[in-house]
Amino acid sequence: MTEDIDFEIDPENLPKRLERKPLGPPSVVVDDLHITYRVFGARRGGTTRQRTSLWDKAISLGRPDTGPITEAPAVRGVSFVAHHGESIGILGTNGSGKSTLLRAVAGLLPATSGRVFTSAEPELMGVNAALLPRLTGERNIMIGGLALGLNAKQVRESVPKVAEFAELGDFLYLPMSSYSSGMASRLRFAISTIRTPEILMIDEALATGDASFRKKSTARIEEIREKAGTVFFVSHSLASVRAMCTRALWIEKGELVADGDVDDVADAYNAFVEGRTNASSGAKLR
Amino acid sequence: MADHTADALLAPRLTSAQAAELASSAGLTEMGIRPPLGRYAAQVWQRRSFIWNLSASRAYSKNQGSYLGQSWAVLRPMLDAAVYVIIFGFLFDSSAPGIDNRAAFITIGTFTYTLFQTSVMSGLNSIPSNLQLIRSHRFPRAVVPLATVMTETVLFAPILVAMLVITMVTGLLPGMGAVWPTWSWLLLPFAAVLLAIFSSGVAMFFARVGARAPDIANAMPFILTLGRYASGGMFLISAMIPEGAWYRPILLHQPVAIYLELFRAVFGNESLIPMTPMLWLEAILWAVVVFVIGFLYFWRAEETYGRD
Repeated sequence: MTEDIDFEIDPENLPKRLERKPLGPPSVVVDDLHITYRVFGARRGGTTRQRTSLWDKAISLGRPDTGPITEAPAVRGVSFVAHHGESIGILGTNGSGKSTLLRAVAGLLPATSGRVFTSAEPELMGVNAALLPRLTGERNIMIGGLALGLNAKQVRESVPKVAEFAELGDFLYLPMSSYSSGMASRLRFAISTIRTPEILMIDEALATGDASFRKKSTARIEEIREKAGTVFFVSHSLASVRAMCTRALWIEKGELVADGDVDDVADAYNAFVEGRTNASSGAKLR
Repeated sequence: MADHTADALLAPRLTSAQAAELASSAGLTEMGIRPPLGRYAAQVWQRRSFIWNLSASRAYSKNQGSYLGQSWAVLRPMLDAAVYVIIFGFLFDSSAPGIDNRAAFITIGTFTYTLFQTSVMSGLNSIPSNLQLIRSHRFPRAVVPLATVMTETVLFAPILVAMLVITMVTGLLPGMGAVWPTWSWLLLPFAAVLLAIFSSGVAMFFARVGARAPDIANAMPFILTLGRYASGGMFLISAMIPEGAWYRPILLHQPVAIYLELFRAVFGNESLIPMTPMLWLEAILWAVVVFVIGFLYFWRAEETYGRD
């Protein structure tokens, strides 16, 4: 991946502010969600729990540099209710648990405790764009579409449409490992929206697109929202969150810090980030 | 953490009971819970073209990135067989008394065991190596180990053809009986399908184990080597194990030994290994029973795949 990821968005490429529509019935209910990762081979000390039982000592004998399994809590007790027709931005510094939260709500990552209810199967678009990097874009469209639950005929029919939307050109028949990060994320977006999802989650995936693709994808997201869908949007660009969302959640160290109108939350978040000196977050914020 | 200004922005939090009530009144379904067995099996069946496409694409890309490419699928078991033929066919040539063509005997055993071995190994790694796909889309996870075994089965087709040719060539070696094509060779694909169904069951079982404890991937090659000997890959179990030993019936009727014997029987060149209906029945039974057990065991942990 040679391209730099550009988190900056030119103001003229942003759509006009979304109009606030009356909210529909609930589409996602998250109740006290906890997610804990198991990390193998973490260094001793730091987060590693001190284990003193004979068995634990025995199994870590051969691994002087590694502790036993470390448990890293990524999401700690998040609850919220989302409604149809809502577009929700998720803010938080790097490592605050935003992606983990989205994966869990999408049903891709099992919750350690807590429950998630949804009105339909959410579709998640992550940053890791290549599904099967050694296969061509065309095979990836086939496999992605089939994974979404379409039948083979529907997927074959949608291949040209997807390829056109993703602007792949001749690269359609090259392995995905040869794609630029922008091409890969365009393809991923196009595959995810083959079927209009009721709940769409976008995890930084549009950051690598160029201006014209951003316009196209923003229009597509608008279309989905219009069909009474719910959109979740993770981005480090406050400007695009303000433009694309009506509501925002702010997560810090796995806990929900703020939940409310996008402007209020974005202002508070901005003040928090600017107030931190030597912020660990590498992303630029306006 | 960031307690300034924030509290005012938090929406009132629902209790768990309120949240569950709100969800059920809005007709929402819970995510991340295991679907009932019947619906799960139906979902897997619905995704059969997904399984097929995934495995065909994998089979195609599997040996890319080496000069000989797809030929390695055939070359690898050939080299395996060559080693065993030299050792057990010529050096320790008493390992299969009563067998006319030890080279063919060993070739068939080795090539056939390859399908089982590669299926189990790739099944074991199937969840970790497809994490990207699993974390991108929701689909019944049994698709993943099933597709990996199907990949190995697709790759087995050229291996099967090579096995036919090599077996005939071994008839030209000094001291080995001739091997001629017979009508029973047409049954080979059916034997391969039964072995693939059986291997899928084993692969689904180990896919769950491998998803939870990656350590097993280090131990598995040894277990599989042991299995090769315990299944009579290169010697005749009935001749080498003393009559009346308590483990003799186990070794003779354990599934992998049955499949190796079935393949040898289908080749039909050894009078000592006849093809009997009983052999087919045993092979079918093992395939069905092991597949069902593997599927159930895999399904029981459906909601946990994709977690670190």
